Amino acid sequence: MTHTLRSPRPAAFRLRSPQDLAAGLLLAAIALGGLWLARNWEAGSLALMQAGFFPRLVCYFLLLSGLATMFRALTADAPAALAWAWRPSVAITVAVVAFAALLDKLGLVLAILALIGIGGLAGRPLRPGPFTALWATLASACVAIFSWGLGLPLQIWP
Amino acid sequence: MMDVFANLWLGLGVSVEPMNLLYCFLGALIGTLIGVLPGLGPTATVALLLPITFYLPPVGALIMLAGIFYGAQYGGSTTAILVKLPGESSSVMTCLDGNAMARQGRGGVALATAALASLFAGIVTTLVIAVAGPPLAGVALAFGPSEYVALMLVGLIGAVILAHGSVVKAVAMILIGLLLSMVGTDVNSGQMRFTFDIPQLYDGLDFVPLAMGLFGLADIIINLEETEGRGIEPSPIHRLWPSWQDFKDAWPAAVRGTALGAFLGILPGGGATLSAFSSYALEKKVARDPSAFGKGAIQGVAGPEAANNAGAQASFIPMLSLGIPSNAVMALMIGAMMIHGITPGPQIMTKQPDLFWGMIASMLVGNIMLVVLNLPLIGIWVRLLRVPYAYLFPAILVFCCIGTYSLRNDVFDVVMMAGFGLFGYVLKKLDCEPAPLLLGFVLGPLLEENLSRAMLLSHGDLGIFVSRPISAGLMAVAAGLLALILLPAFRRQREVAFKE
Repeated sequence: MTHTLRSPRPAAFRLRSPQDLAAGLLLAAIALGGLWLARNWEAGSLALMQAGFFPRLVCYFLLLSGLATMFRALTADAPAALAWAWRPSVAITVAVVAFAALLDKLGLVLAILALIGIGGLAGRPLRPGPFTALWATLASACVAIFSWGLGLPLQIWP
Repeated sequence: MMDVFANLWLGLGVSVEPMNLLYCFLGALIGTLIGVLPGLGPTATVALLLPITFYLPPVGALIMLAGIFYGAQYGGSTTAILVKLPGESSSVMTCLDGNAMARQGRGGVALATAALASLFAGIVTTLVIAVAGPPLAGVALAFGPSEYVALMLVGLIGAVILAHGSVVKAVAMILIGLLLSMVGTDVNSGQMRFTFDIPQLYDGLDFVPLAMGLFGLADIIINLEETEGRGIEPSPIHRLWPSWQDFKDAWPAAVRGTALGAFLGILPGGGATLSAFSSYALEKKVARDPSAFGKGAIQGVAGPEAANNAGAQASFIPMLSLGIPSNAVMALMIGAMMIHGITPGPQIMTKQPDLFWGMIASMLVGNIMLVVLNLPLIGIWVRLLRVPYAYLFPAILVFCCIGTYSLRNDVFDVVMMAGFGLFGYVLKKLDCEPAPLLLGFVLGPLLEENLSRAMLLSHGDLGIFVSRPISAGLMAVAAGLLALILLPAFRRQREVAFKE
């Protein structure tokens, strides 16, 4: 080992793990964002901590770990895969937000239709027959359990 | 010692009265059925069902509530194993290996292991409570702010062990969890922190949208991505019940988990959660093959399940004997007792022995009933795993959304869940694990409060952590854990660096 021990420096500035670089940047960004939001909160002293003390302490450590992760991106190899699955990630998120937007206005039954209709696009959508059956089953189960059974104040129809 | 058995006998007499037995059974049944729904953890379930018990006699009401609590706890583990949705922070660890087992067609084994480990933990902890409950309650009082800080450091550093990949990223996840826990109004100064002037955030974030998003939604996205939209295929079920080998693998983990849970559960705060996390970390450390964890190691189900049940049960000790609620569920129980005109506290044992011992004995009865109730259900639950994913994932979406909505009847929580789902997916892409984040989130408020209190008491002298014996001991454990993690990781990193 000792013979082959070379300084890793010359090769070290090659980016080896884009994943770690992205993670490090994200962590550092969150830390800096937190510090910026906390800029006006009084920190107090160690003996008399105020609202700003703990957030800053955590953000400084987070910044440090972000920098360490970025450094690791230069020293340790990792799978380069950073592909993003647009279809499932967008469909699921939009479906849940649509449910939230529609629930109070159109009621539970139609909100569930939107949720599973849009959400279904994340995978391979069901054919109309099975889809309707799924909708009817889920909607009636939810009404029975949550509205009748648990007595939640849910709006069911528009 | 004879006293204990005489008392327990008295309690058993109370708890096997037909009506009380019925309340216990109904509580466990309803609790399981509601607790299985994603998003409805024990706290939500007990809160929703509290009004039912108003019409019962005091002893019956408390027995039923305790039944609901165990049922909900076990129901939550079922959801965690079957569809990887933790309804409560203490079942986060069950998700990891329990769900991995379910995907290998060992869902029945995982459910049975969880039930039996919980039963074992429940029985042992009940006996511990009966024998040593009142003196043990003193332990909670011996814990000052500096001891809590040290204990939480041990827990948080332990959480780093359970992560697969980079140590730095696991630490960062804990820190993000701590940061998220600060959202809301600062208790001491009234300062709004990270609320962005959104009124719904003034009270802070709730655990459910966070966990549902990070685990439930992100998991659906990842499953669909990895299978290109087809969804995970249910794998054939090899066997429903644990084999002799499974049993041999699982029982030492259950014993260790019970011991951890029985001790940590007494302490206010994240007792059950901390014990489940610690138990997982411990099992991973003592295992012959730590790499099996996260890929369906049965010890990773037995340990944390025993620990969270023991912890949940042990949290009755400070509630009954000191009147201190150690978590939200216990606060609800105290509320229920007050409604029935009972004041929890040291005098309850002497003034109302039938109530105190009846409730403790009903823990025994309840745990046995829960297993009797749930073992036959395993066959039905496992069949749920055979539902094609194209039907299953919309159903999971619906129950996640309504479960989250039911917390406060506010769609804002549902939107938060969608956001955390996306964030969870980003974390997965960056190879960061959400479990340490959740632990940081749960322990954050306690850590901050106790840190500031400890510093206030010592006038800013950090020496307080090493000058008090319990805290010094815990700090030594924390330092030892840190060394244990850092040394191999450091060595590995160097090897990778020098390979070039």
